[in-house]
Amino acid sequence: MATTSGRRSAKLLQRIATLTPRLKPRPAVAACDWNPKSLQFWRCLHHGGDGVLLVPDVGRERKTSGSRQLASEGGRLPSSSASGGLRFATSAALPAVGAKVAKAEEMIEVSVDGQSVQIPKGMTVLQACELVGVSIPRFCYHSRLSIAGNCRMCLVEVEKTPKPVASCAMPALPGMKIKTDTPLCKKAREGVMEFLLLNHPLDCPICDQGGECDLQDQSMVFGSDRGRFTETKRTVLDKNLGPLVKTIMTRCIQCTRCVRFAKEIAGVEDLGVLGRGGSEEIGTYVENLMTSELSGNVIDVCPVGALTSKPYAFTARSWELKSTESIDVTDAVGSNIRVDSRGPEVMRILPRLHEEVNEEWISDKARFSYDGLKRQRLSEPMIRRPDGRLEAVSWHDALEAVAEAAHQVKPEEMAGIAGKLSDAESMMALKDFLNKMGCERIWSEGDGKSANVDMRSSFLLNTGIASLEYADLCLLVGTQLRWEAPLVNARLRKAVRSSRAKVASIGPPTDLNYPHQHLGTGTETLIRIAEGRHPFCAEFGRAERPAVIVGSGLLEHSDKSAVMAAVEMIVKHGNAVRDDWNGFNTILLNAAQAGARDLGLVQGARAGNKEIKFLYLLGADELTPADIPADSFVVYQGHHGDRSAYRADVILPGTVYTEKEGTYENTEGLTQQTSPAVPTVGDSRDDWKIIRALSEIAGVRLPYDTANGLRARMLAVSPNLLRIDDLEPPSDFSFTLKNQFPSTVALSSFPKAVENFYMTDSITRASRTMAQCTAAFFGKRE
Amino acid sequence: MSWRSKLSHVFQELRIHLCQTSPSSTPTREFITRNYMDLKALNPTLPILIRECSGVQPRLWARYDYGVERSVPLDGLTAHEIDVKLEELVRKGVPDR
Repeated sequence: MATTSGRRSAKLLQRIATLTPRLKPRPAVAACDWNPKSLQFWRCLHHGGDGVLLVPDVGRERKTSGSRQLASEGGRLPSSSASGGLRFATSAALPAVGAKVAKAEEMIEVSVDGQSVQIPKGMTVLQACELVGVSIPRFCYHSRLSIAGNCRMCLVEVEKTPKPVASCAMPALPGMKIKTDTPLCKKAREGVMEFLLLNHPLDCPICDQGGECDLQDQSMVFGSDRGRFTETKRTVLDKNLGPLVKTIMTRCIQCTRCVRFAKEIAGVEDLGVLGRGGSEEIGTYVENLMTSELSGNVIDVCPVGALTSKPYAFTARSWELKSTESIDVTDAVGSNIRVDSRGPEVMRILPRLHEEVNEEWISDKARFSYDGLKRQRLSEPMIRRPDGRLEAVSWHDALEAVAEAAHQVKPEEMAGIAGKLSDAESMMALKDFLNKMGCERIWSEGDGKSANVDMRSSFLLNTGIASLEYADLCLLVGTQLRWEAPLVNARLRKAVRSSRAKVASIGPPTDLNYPHQHLGTGTETLIRIAEGRHPFCAEFGRAERPAVIVGSGLLEHSDKSAVMAAVEMIVKHGNAVRDDWNGFNTILLNAAQAGARDLGLVQGARAGNKEIKFLYLLGADELTPADIPADSFVVYQGHHGDRSAYRADVILPGTVYTEKEGTYENTEGLTQQTSPAVPTVGDSRDDWKIIRALSEIAGVRLPYDTANGLRARMLAVSPNLLRIDDLEPPSDFSFTLKNQFPSTVALSSFPKAVENFYMTDSITRASRTMAQCTAAFFGKRE
Repeated sequence: MSWRSKLSHVFQELRIHLCQTSPSSTPTREFITRNYMDLKALNPTLPILIRECSGVQPRLWARYDYGVERSVPLDGLTAHEIDVKLEELVRKGVPDR
């Protein structure tokens, strides 16, 4: 790949253009906009001639956060003339974490390739060029990591400097004249490329990164056509980083992105550079595994095939895959993902850029649990016969059996439980169906039967995931944030690193990957702080933007009202809820919880508590058979044959999140939608459609036939569920309106909400990769 | 007010839709700030869902048994008038199926 003759290269590029129709600009870009892993990106530069590069737009309009606005104020954006709709994505130009960003008055003028541009002070040359639209090749620079400057691929010529400068590290000074396409720059790039490829193995045919490799792409565009190396290449031993990250360290170009990611973003200082010069190796040295919950992201940051995904190894090539934008449902963060599928199978899951939620990262559970989508799937309706065996039947028979059983019990003896992964549409249909049957007992797993869901601000992350970065003091109550919502933890870590925010936690002791104070384990400490008898109160009072994050595992706690009242007092004394800042947050555990609460999936006013004789489980698997009365009729509608299917009398196969268009609300209240990436399995149907069909057979036909009709109904219940990708902030009535402090409180420790991070729902429990992770990592964590 | 304690006898769920910022929802916000505590204290089992969303017209939805719902637009009413409307709904009782 590296050595093609000069005459053939133009023809080769043309061939590539015809062979790879998928590489047309499309909304979901491979890794992220500043470093796309597509040949299209670099091809533009080659054909551009005038050095102006048009980068594919990242997709739907996002609400601009503060820092993005700054970047867009800075430069002139090129017009989208020739490429019909390509726009310049500005997030690449953001200064690195912790850099001071200048105000509008502190703009300086530099000239890039003859074009002059106003940029904020403090930007580097590379960022200045990005603002103009010129993308400079690089390997070690990453906009979210600290600057290393060791690959030297970003060398550009600056007038009146003796040597080309590493643009990623050089701050842009006023009046600089930057030239990126001079013969000197081209020679430098060819030289760097030649050196990088010197010791690089000829692994392209067997390397997973082929087709989306920065080294391949940049060598095609910037490298020379022939090499001069005739000696033996060096090799490096592979390191064992665990069941998730496959390492072939011979391919490593020592850019140190993985080292910086692990240290800065993930907070585990596992990886380091050992040795010097030609014998540099990246590794852990002490044969540790990478136990971080964000370890899969090193696969994305690695520009070559040194760190790749072990479960995905040798399974597919990037050009065979169809990408679908979707949302992750393994936790409540609602990370934006890209589901790559080939035919009916999901081959891998990659992150999608969303500045306000997950930036460019996803947790390991989101990334690697897709193999559970193929195992233990329910594909046919089944009825349990009197001898105890489940028999596959037709849909009509199954639905009739359910309708018959439903009519045989009184409405007060029916109940419905929505599961962790249910989308808003199916929960709406379930609620409507049960209400029409006269049943008022419906709740969502993880919420308890009598949750107070009246005020949205009482159960959402009011500060917003993105704004948590600006908190200067955070108190975690009853939550192990690292395992419950790794990406929210990563944001807090950003706050701790960049602005020295202080974090204190009350609850089970956890290693949060950043320095924090562990104040206590339970209600005693919380009450002492609430009453002002703890040294922490002074700190809380001094903070300008304090935040309190309460774990939703506490809502099943026996002393819920005492805990909430104590938190309320703390928030009031610390002035954490004001017009410009709302610091009271609840972190939810499941993807369905926020949607369920918004839809009002709680018991009605006169629900009663008769013994349950008919139980409708919409994917609810956290019940043990002991929770379900022995003589009740259980209907399980879900996608995996997990715990509840063993107890079910009728099984109705539904769809997983990769197969349906479902609305999910994340823990901060942002409504997002998944998209179907693969077809459904066997005879399964969309969840809401099953309930609609059931309602017809049961004689209580629901008034909607189409998804739009159902959404119109959702509009009447909770209109924010139709505002896709729009955060509807809750108003804060709640703090004037809560419970009083009870007189007696039992002193107890807060329980752990997540026992095993890798197996929390039916999909992850069915996944082989998650089982390997549990075996490899579970014993090593506290 | 005796009708306030009858809410949970008549309704299964109450929903109030309003906009966070628009002036047409200000009376609704006032109504909630003044009355929610009392209503909730008198009817602890009744879910009174307050759902805000930008740009929606303020509305009161009442859900009765068997999924029957009634809705009352609150646009243009003062907080006191909203109170009166709620009382009306309580007095009207459960609608015929």
